[in-house]
Amino acid sequence: MKKLNNLKNKYNEIEIPSELEDVVKSSIRQAKTTGKKRGYVKQWTIGAAAAAALFIGSINMSPSFAQAMVNVPVLGTIVEVFTIQQMTINEVDHQADLKTPAIEGLTDKGLQAALNEKYIAENKMLFKQFEQDVAELEKAGGGHLGVHTGYEVVTDTDQLLSIARYEVNTVGSSSTTMKYDTVDKQNNVLITLPSLFKGNLYIDVISKYIVNEMKANMAADENITYFLSTDEFGGFEKISADQSFYITADNKLVISFDKYEVAPGSMGVLKFEIPTDLVKELLVSNTYIH
Amino acid sequence: MTKNEKFILVENFIVENREAHYRLAYGYVKNKENALDIVQDAILKALNSIDRLEELAYLKTWFYRIIVNTAIDFIRKHQRVTLMDDDILVLHLPKIEDELTDMDLQDAIDQLPPQYKSVIILRFFEDLKIEEIAEIMGVNVNTVKTRLYTALRKLRVEMGEEFTL
Repeated sequence: MKKLNNLKNKYNEIEIPSELEDVVKSSIRQAKTTGKKRGYVKQWTIGAAAAAALFIGSINMSPSFAQAMVNVPVLGTIVEVFTIQQMTINEVDHQADLKTPAIEGLTDKGLQAALNEKYIAENKMLFKQFEQDVAELEKAGGGHLGVHTGYEVVTDTDQLLSIARYEVNTVGSSSTTMKYDTVDKQNNVLITLPSLFKGNLYIDVISKYIVNEMKANMAADENITYFLSTDEFGGFEKISADQSFYITADNKLVISFDKYEVAPGSMGVLKFEIPTDLVKELLVSNTYIH
Repeated sequence: MTKNEKFILVENFIVENREAHYRLAYGYVKNKENALDIVQDAILKALNSIDRLEELAYLKTWFYRIIVNTAIDFIRKHQRVTLMDDDILVLHLPKIEDELTDMDLQDAIDQLPPQYKSVIILRFFEDLKIEEIAEIMGVNVNTVKTRLYTALRKLRVEMGEEFTL
C-alpha cells in the first residue's frame, strides 16, 4: 500500500505542460464551430435522413431494387415521385430553383420514361431560357428576375396519380403556370382531357358551368373578380380543348387556370371542380370520373 | 436548463479540471504530446455529443469515460512495441512463486492490459468509487471488483488493512 501511495504522489506530480491550457481552450473553440453546424439537428434525424437518402438513392440507381419495392404490400401501391434533379442559381438579382419530379414504379416503363424525360427536358429548357433572359437583362442594365419550379402530388390513389408542376416567374410581380399530368397507374395511360370525353361538347358544357360559377361567386363576394368575355376588355369565354385539369382522389374532375389567365393576379391560380352529374353523359366511361 | 447553459457548464468543468484530465491521459500514454492529443480529442468528442449526457450528475464519469476510451483507442492504434526487461517478462510468464521484490511498481502498472490499468489508475490515483469506475468503464460493479483484484494480484501488491474497496 505504501508503494501505491508513493505512486499516487508521483501521479499527482505529473508535470502539467504549459500548453495544456491553450490546447483545452482551442479544443473548446473548435468544438463550438464544428458543433454549431449540426447543433440542433438531433442524432435521430441524421439517421432517418440517411435511411431516406439510401432508399431514394437505391430506387433511382437500381431498377431491380425499385421493382422489388413495388412488390412490397404497402410500398407497392405508391408510385413514388421524387425530385431527381434540381438546378439552382442564386444571386442577388436573379434566382432560379428548378425541381424536376421523377416518377418511379409504373409498370409501363415506356410511359414512365417518356414522362420523366418530358419533365427533365422542360426544366432544362426553362433553365436555358432563364440564363438567356438574365444575360439580356444584364445587357439592358440589370434588374430582378426569378424562376422557380416545383411539383406536388395532387392525387395518388390505387388507380390515379396526378402531379401538378408549377412554374413561377418573377419579374417584379410573379406569374404562375400550372401543368398537370394524370396517369392511370393500373392501365398505364396518360390521361388527357379530350380522351375523357366523347366528342367536343364537353368544352361548351364545362365552359358554361364555369362562367356561371364565376358570376355566382362574384355576386356572392365583392372581393372576387374574374375576367369575363362580357366585360368591356374581354375575358374568359371557353376552356381550351386541353385545358389544365386533374382528377381528385374522390374521382372529381378539376379544371385549373393559371394566374392571370381568367382573373386578376390577386386571385392566383384558379380551380373549378366540375360536378360529375353535369358531364356524366359526355364521359367515355365512368372509370376515372364518377 | 437550456442547451446553451448545459454547454457552458460542461465547458467550465473541462477547463477547471484540465489538469486531472491531462494526468489521466498521461497515465496511459506516458508522454506529453500524446496526452495532449488525447485531451484535445476527448474535449471535441464530448462537446459534440453533449446531447448524450442526460444528467449532469454523471458529468464527471461521462467525461472520464470519454478520456479513458480515447486513450485506449489511441494505444490500440499506436500499438507501441515496448522492450521489456527480463524481470518484467517474468511477470507475464507462467508463475514461479518467487520474490520479484525489485520490480518497479510503476513499470508493472504500465505493462498491465488497458482494462486493468484503468481500474488501478481510477481507483488509486483518481480516488474514484467502485461505482464510478463501473460507470466510466461501462461494466457492472462486480466486474470492476474482479478486475481490481486481478490487477492487484498481478501487481503482487500486499493489500494493507486500510484498503477499502
